[in-house]
Amino acid sequence: MSFMKRFLSRLGFMALTVVAMSFLIFLLVEIMPGDVAQTVLGQAATEESVAALRETMKLNDPLMVRYGRWASGYIQGDLGESLYMRGVQINSIFWRRVGHSMLLALSALIFYVPLSIFLGVLAGVRAGKFSDSVISFLGLATMALPEFVSGILLITVFSVNLNLLPLTSVIPIGQTLWQNLEILVLPACSITFVMFGYVSRMQRSSMIGVMNSDYVRAAILKGMPKRYVIFRHALKNALLPTITIIGMNMGWLFGGLIVVETLFGFPGLGSLTMTAIKTRDIPLIEACVLFITIIFVFSTFITDMMYSFLNPKIRFKREDL
Amino acid sequence: MNTFYLQLKKSPLAIIGLSILLLWIFAALFGPSLVSYTYTEMDMHNQLVSPGEQGHLLGTDALGRDVFSRIIYGSRTILTVALLTSLLSSFAGIIIGFIAGYFGGLVDTFFLRIMDILMAIPPLVLSMVVLGILGNSTILSLTIIVSIAYTPATARVARGALLTCKNTEYVDAARIRGESNIFIMFVEILPNTIGPVIVEITARFAYSIMMIASLGFLGVGLQPPTPDWGMMVIENKSIIRSAPWTVVYPSLAIASLVIAISLFSDFLSKVMINEN
Repeated sequence: MSFMKRFLSRLGFMALTVVAMSFLIFLLVEIMPGDVAQTVLGQAATEESVAALRETMKLNDPLMVRYGRWASGYIQGDLGESLYMRGVQINSIFWRRVGHSMLLALSALIFYVPLSIFLGVLAGVRAGKFSDSVISFLGLATMALPEFVSGILLITVFSVNLNLLPLTSVIPIGQTLWQNLEILVLPACSITFVMFGYVSRMQRSSMIGVMNSDYVRAAILKGMPKRYVIFRHALKNALLPTITIIGMNMGWLFGGLIVVETLFGFPGLGSLTMTAIKTRDIPLIEACVLFITIIFVFSTFITDMMYSFLNPKIRFKREDL
Repeated sequence: MNTFYLQLKKSPLAIIGLSILLLWIFAALFGPSLVSYTYTEMDMHNQLVSPGEQGHLLGTDALGRDVFSRIIYGSRTILTVALLTSLLSSFAGIIIGFIAGYFGGLVDTFFLRIMDILMAIPPLVLSMVVLGILGNSTILSLTIIVSIAYTPATARVARGALLTCKNTEYVDAARIRGESNIFIMFVEILPNTIGPVIVEITARFAYSIMMIASLGFLGVGLQPPTPDWGMMVIENKSIIRSAPWTVVYPSLAIASLVIAISLFSDFLSKVMINEN
């Protein structure tokens, strides 16, 4: 399959997944116990007013009609109105939160990608030695820790004992995230803990595989400096699986964001999702979950494409060969 | 089996992991009858007591409940749910993965695509949303939802394991003998994929603990007053400065358990995969 063909089929599948997920999310919220109109008006509302609200919210239409209306609104960029905060357009709060989360995810990436790749390469090159055991143990241990546990340990050390960094990541009213960048540090480190394990372990094992390959041994045997062989010859190929694992873990990253943002009270998409669920704010739940899904599917798609593009075996593969 | 013990003897990390795991299992089985307080008992005169004072080994929380007892009781719930989840999701994964891989063709494509679509939403987000919407989680709902969230991943592992021995002589022999497909899948193939399956179940056990603790932390797990490690952390997070023990000890409990299981499952995967 040529690169273009692969691109198109993946693109089609991505679109299909998003449509299927949007329907699933819509259905999921449908099964939520309790009547929406009743929830909005509270238990004291009369039957007539509930019925009237159902009519104005067009809740009596068939399922597919409501799904169609909801989906077409999304396509036009209208996320609807929040149920819990009556009269608030979701668009007016949503994108700022997304921006915050993106910045947090980006700071985490800046932390953990170079760190994990560097230590993974080190462990792979020195496989079986003491430094490898230490790095591998650290990776194994941090990989399994839920984000809030590593977060609590970081808070205990850096906020409670050393008093260096803020305990919570709340932005004071009237200020922006850019004026409070220090609140990103501990949340980003908590995410780093979890991601470090996955990425460094993958980097280590792919490095070991590449270091044992014939062309690397040939390069070493012909007397090239080891540093040059590692960084110029081996790393290039050993990075491929790592890139894949980083991309594939974007979903984990976003799941983790919910936990980390809740722990630190960080005003991002994750804590917004949590609030939406707690307040049973249906349109907001739908917007948050669908957005997380789209990010996840899109990053998987990009990863797949990058993998095919960077891998000459796929890039140059033609059916007639 | 003998090589297993020999291998275990040579890896101190796996022994440490297994011992900590066994310790927690012991705590879950017998701990509640050994501790001096129940998980709801409030010592109204001794709220927020520091560890080691007034007969409270790890101190008390804001309601005067003994942190140590709550951790011990909590080990029972988290281990139960995690064990059920890892078994149920592996079981469902084996059935779906085996059917997809064994029949191949359209059946395979059909199941793979459904799994791909389900995998488009992170398991934690999926479980959190569903549990949050349903409300009032119980051990049963928690187990079922988390298992569903994990099944796509386990099905992929099972399918991969099946494919490695699908085209072997003994499968052909069974087919020529006229055995049924179900017999071939579960009597001929399953025992030969047992290594990867056991590794998957153990790894899934660690993930389940991570997930259930996170769900408890997010407040969509088991309901209070059931002692849940994740819930204990978020309940007391606001008093971390004045009473760090109420937050740090439950966190350490989670950390020790998941790290122990990971160490052991890492060892298992090395042994099982080398053997095959």
